[in-house]
Amino acid sequence: MLPVKESVSANPSTDAPTLELNEIQATVLRPRPAPYFGTHVLLRVDDDRAGRELLRRLTPHVDSAANWWSAADPWLSVAISCAGLEALGVPRASLESFPEAFRVGMAARARQLGDEGVNDPKNWDRPFGTGDVHIGLSAFSDSEEKRRRVLAIAREQYENFSGIRVLASQNFGAQPGDLNPLGYKDGIDQPAIEGSGDEPLPGRGRPIKAGEFILGYPGEAGVPLPMPQPDILGRNGTYVGLRKYQSRVGAFNRFLHANGSTEDERELLAAKLVGRWRSGAPLTLAPDVDNPALGADPQRNNDFNYANDPRGRQVPLGSHIRRMNPRDTELARLTDVNLHRLIRRGTTYGAPYDPNALSEQDDEVPRGAYFLFISAKAMATIEFLQREWINDGNFIGAGNERDPIIGRQEGDATFTIPKEPVRRRVHGIDTFNVLRGGEYLFIPSLSALRWLSELR
Amino acid sequence: MATTTTQTPMRTGSTQPADAQQKIQKLRDLFADAPELGKKALESVIAELTSQVSEPRAKVESAGRVGARLGQRSELTMIVPLVPGGAKRLRAFLEMLDGNLSGGADKVGTLHDMRFVFLDNDTKMLFATSFDGDWDVYIDDFVTKIPDYLDLMDSAWEGWPGIRSPQAKDYLVKHQITAVGWYVANPDLTVAEITRLKRIGKAVDEFLDKIGN
Repeated sequence: MLPVKESVSANPSTDAPTLELNEIQATVLRPRPAPYFGTHVLLRVDDDRAGRELLRRLTPHVDSAANWWSAADPWLSVAISCAGLEALGVPRASLESFPEAFRVGMAARARQLGDEGVNDPKNWDRPFGTGDVHIGLSAFSDSEEKRRRVLAIAREQYENFSGIRVLASQNFGAQPGDLNPLGYKDGIDQPAIEGSGDEPLPGRGRPIKAGEFILGYPGEAGVPLPMPQPDILGRNGTYVGLRKYQSRVGAFNRFLHANGSTEDERELLAAKLVGRWRSGAPLTLAPDVDNPALGADPQRNNDFNYANDPRGRQVPLGSHIRRMNPRDTELARLTDVNLHRLIRRGTTYGAPYDPNALSEQDDEVPRGAYFLFISAKAMATIEFLQREWINDGNFIGAGNERDPIIGRQEGDATFTIPKEPVRRRVHGIDTFNVLRGGEYLFIPSLSALRWLSELR
Repeated sequence: MATTTTQTPMRTGSTQPADAQQKIQKLRDLFADAPELGKKALESVIAELTSQVSEPRAKVESAGRVGARLGQRSELTMIVPLVPGGAKRLRAFLEMLDGNLSGGADKVGTLHDMRFVFLDNDTKMLFATSFDGDWDVYIDDFVTKIPDYLDLMDSAWEGWPGIRSPQAKDYLVKHQITAVGWYVANPDLTVAEITRLKRIGKAVDEFLDKIGN
């Protein structure tokens, strides 16, 4: 059996971390700084020996989660697809110990993800979905200067290296005011992880068992999740679902204008879609007007539940944040909400949000986000969320309504805003974020990276 | 893997006329050995069947690993061997509830029906259910939310590894038999949607009562 630590803390706010932070990659636990600057690099391994040599050179520069709470220094992370593990020479028996969804890749899971129509992998940007993405290398930092510095170190390892091909390199970073491409402050709500040494911010709910997020520790069901073999490869590793979205800002603004005749009406509608004002202030705590000071305060901007709002008159049941984390909402289907959480790292790229962008050309101005969804069962969780909470409404008794922000809309899609005496149902919701690529990747521990680099 | 279904909209399949004729002919050939009343019955409905076979209609698809799916609805049929004494315990449990599982089963929110039938002198059980979506979507939720109810009933099953075991899904798949024929009156209506429509129907009636006076 797995050498599971018995001392996983029941009350992490008062205890030291019990996770092996020196082994876990920093990106798993360290939130983005504000502001943030970074680069994603996608690599292909044409030659297995070159691939292993690259990992050998890179690993000393990959940061562990020790001191994950400090983002003062820039950090590098490495994630590897199943095709990448194969290209590195990982034995067949070991490859087969990975979950099926990971082995076939995100594009092949389009049905389970509802990635159809405009989100169909055949419409994706290359190299996503081609099987060529072997290694995803990411640099994160809190300044542009540090980003360049850490990226230069990474480039020394992979550039002009025979047998390694650079497929794509994409800079990312928060827009002015720390806003995402649709003009909202985001990334506020993250799960609290037991044993990480986290002092959970108010409103995060009870800490969730570490095994849900990191392999080798007990999960919510009391046992560790199945782990890739050998143990050295799986333990302290996790998975990330990478999804690249193009934000159709013109379509979003046109929708607001079609359904709100004044600036105030449009901003209230925009807040109802998400459940928060653009400032990050939640509608539960600021139901009628925005409160930017509240939005900016991490001690208060997530400190709420839905006990006094069961029907969604403040935060609509179908709004983005209530779908992604229903908290104490009574759901129509038997659900353990703690099983469907993800560590989310949104990384915004391209032009900033423009409230005056209304044309169809504006929809194609490159801007959007590379979302990183991290969990020890990221494939299953992303697929569950896509089917049950994003592209369906049955779990909240909302028929076939979908998530207004990241859902893929079809036909005359609607969004219901509960109100007294009768609800308002807004028509003409469009797909505001279109999927342009995605990959399932494994985030090995530092020991696993060394093990991979030493395969013969 | 037989995973080629979509959730919505429902896919429809139609059969080309030549193909339909072939299928009808195959049925006729097989009925050559049938009892006389079977043959006569076939001939009297053959025209109707031919047009039915040619019409486009909702296609029965795969519900993930096994089982059939029609629109939003999936079916699960299993025959499992029982451990000694298992039938007695399970029967007592079901009879204690007067054979009615409402209450607990309501909470699941995706179950349309369930039936438990004992076979072969209580040595086997037929379990049949239909529910919304693919069968394993909420299995992990059952493990943390209602594990004891499942193990209470399923401990009657020979070889049941326990709902918390990673082998539980494989056990279910191993004993599941996919239905060859299946009818659902409203394949597009989930349990949640039926509940919503009932609520709206009641509200509309109240509204009409008010303005109709």
